[in-house]
Amino acid sequence: MLEIKNLHVKIADEDRVILKGLNLTVPKGEVHAIMGPNGAGKSTLAYVLAGRSDYEVTEGDILWNGESLLEMAPDERAAKGVFLAFQYPMEIPGVAGLTFLRTAANAVRKKRDQAEYTTPEFMKIVRAKAASLNIDYEMLKRPVNVGFSGGEKKRSEILQMAMLEPTLCVLDETDSGLDIDALRIVSDGVNALRGPDRAMLVITHYQRLLDYIVPDKVHVLANGVIAKTGGKELAKELETTGYVEFEGKAA
Amino acid sequence: MTVAVMKTKAELTLAEQFQSAVGALPGGAAVASMRRGAMDAFADLGLPHRRIEAWKYTDLRTVLKEPAAPSIVDDAKLTVGDLIVALGPYMELDAPRLVLVNGHYRRTLSNLSGTDAIRVVPLSEHLDQLSSHADDAMMALNTAFVTDGAVVDIPAGIVLEKPLLLVQLAAGKDARASTVRHKITVGRGAQVTIVELFLTLPGSVLDGQTNALTDIAVHDGGHVTHVKVASEGGKAHHMSNWIATLGKDAVYRGFQLTAGIALARNQVLVTFTGEGGKLDLSGAFLGRGADHIDTTMVIDHAVPRCESREVFAGVLDGRARGIFQGKVIVRPDAQKTDGKQMARAMMLSPDAEFDSKPELEIYADDVVCGHGSTSIEIDADLLFYCQARGIPPAEARALLVQAFVGEAIDRVEHEGVRDALTKTAADWLGAVQR
Repeated sequence: MLEIKNLHVKIADEDRVILKGLNLTVPKGEVHAIMGPNGAGKSTLAYVLAGRSDYEVTEGDILWNGESLLEMAPDERAAKGVFLAFQYPMEIPGVAGLTFLRTAANAVRKKRDQAEYTTPEFMKIVRAKAASLNIDYEMLKRPVNVGFSGGEKKRSEILQMAMLEPTLCVLDETDSGLDIDALRIVSDGVNALRGPDRAMLVITHYQRLLDYIVPDKVHVLANGVIAKTGGKELAKELETTGYVEFEGKAA
Repeated sequence: MTVAVMKTKAELTLAEQFQSAVGALPGGAAVASMRRGAMDAFADLGLPHRRIEAWKYTDLRTVLKEPAAPSIVDDAKLTVGDLIVALGPYMELDAPRLVLVNGHYRRTLSNLSGTDAIRVVPLSEHLDQLSSHADDAMMALNTAFVTDGAVVDIPAGIVLEKPLLLVQLAAGKDARASTVRHKITVGRGAQVTIVELFLTLPGSVLDGQTNALTDIAVHDGGHVTHVKVASEGGKAHHMSNWIATLGKDAVYRGFQLTAGIALARNQVLVTFTGEGGKLDLSGAFLGRGADHIDTTMVIDHAVPRCESREVFAGVLDGRARGIFQGKVIVRPDAQKTDGKQMARAMMLSPDAEFDSKPELEIYADDVVCGHGSTSIEIDADLLFYCQARGIPPAEARALLVQAFVGEAIDRVEHEGVRDALTKTAADWLGAVQR
């Protein structure tokens, strides 16, 4: 279970406060969506969960399965099962996709006291998972994300997610830049990972993604706090009303 | 008026070494005479120093204190097993090889089977074919002291699938100065990959000094990949010159990897002699501690419609210093020249230094020429991305540094050679992890 308690976050080296006492609980087996206007702090929340050092937690705590994540380095969080699918996946020139996937998968397996993948095991698994995401295996021999289209980058993120077998998946604007076919493939990939031991936090500005990844709960993040919580129908509601109501509170 | 410059101790030592060695060096009277002429030229020139623009960053008068004793006789004991260990990943190329030990040809370690279509012979039997190169101090020293090397002739139209290895191994317990010369001729339309390896036998002394010079002529339509690995170890000195001429429509792809050397000067001089020539010169220099690695080139576009690319990447840790000097001359007739160069260094320590000096001398008006140079650090965003995927910081850093070097190595077309170079770089980088 993910428990975010009274989380206050500011940008390191700046005074600007972004999250102002955010409370959120996501039980295992559930998918929660975070929606909200631009600049509300959605991506900040995603990065803070993954442990990016550009942000500073000034108050509150983040517990994953009862354990605080705050003092853990990003790689330790990954080993504990935290995975952030980036809004803008990064290009790594010179590192072949397969090398990256294998290095990452074996790094977390080692920390989880699991045996590292042998080459044949790894090949078999990555081939199967890539095929299910409609990723050309040859593409994985190329440097990570270099020259990939927006859709290819997002599929590559989901492949990484599938390979690392996380228990807390945070998807930051995974729908941005996707056409309807790519959206379906990516959503199928995410839905395949839904399970009783996995919690998911799906961050999105638009309701569209939630037609494909149907959430158990929808939260509206505005002005650095969860301003409203509802069922999946809340997303539809927001589609017609917009975020004006919440922006109004900021004034 | 000439001003007499006080000779350094090293210059005096070199002169003494030559006097006592010249009688024992290979070649007849004519060769001995050429050696004497070269040594006289060196005596006039002296060791290059910082007031000579091309040696601005590498002052040999200061850094070359004690020239090692020239390797006159071949007395190192080693077996094929030793060679296999020393060659490491290059052994997997299953390629023909000519092997020198401390500058002397070793027939028993060489294996030239599969080279019937070409001519590969030890240079010591053909020293009369040498060019003197007495106008450059370090080349003159090479002519004066050279003991052996390879003469390689690739006849017109011959395509060699397997790379040809030219190996120089430093071996033994005493520091030696090995002086090596290769002379390579690639006939019209011939294709070949030649890999020069400068390595030290594991367990041997690591402060040897190498002076190597390769003359290479690529005739019309020839296609050459020319690779050099300089990794003699710890305290070694490595002075290298490549002198290349490219005929009409010739393609010359050079790559130099320098890793684990205290002092290296890699000079490359390329002259286009026929239209439509293409040069791709790249390399990686990896330094740590107080390593000093200087890459200096002069690309002479003497004729129109040629293309040159120089792309170098350095990784500098500790107090290491990397130098890139790229001079491109475009002669008045050399219209439609297309020349670009890029030097990038990844700095792993605040005390490392990278000096980059592009020099474009353009005398023609219808040309496209450009250059760029950057010093970078490991990208913090990429580091976070790797860490967010579970890769610990030290491993993530090594991965990103290797990726940076890998981009340069990727310019080498031969897959097997590329893999071996990657392994050499990875072995060096292994110790960068912290």
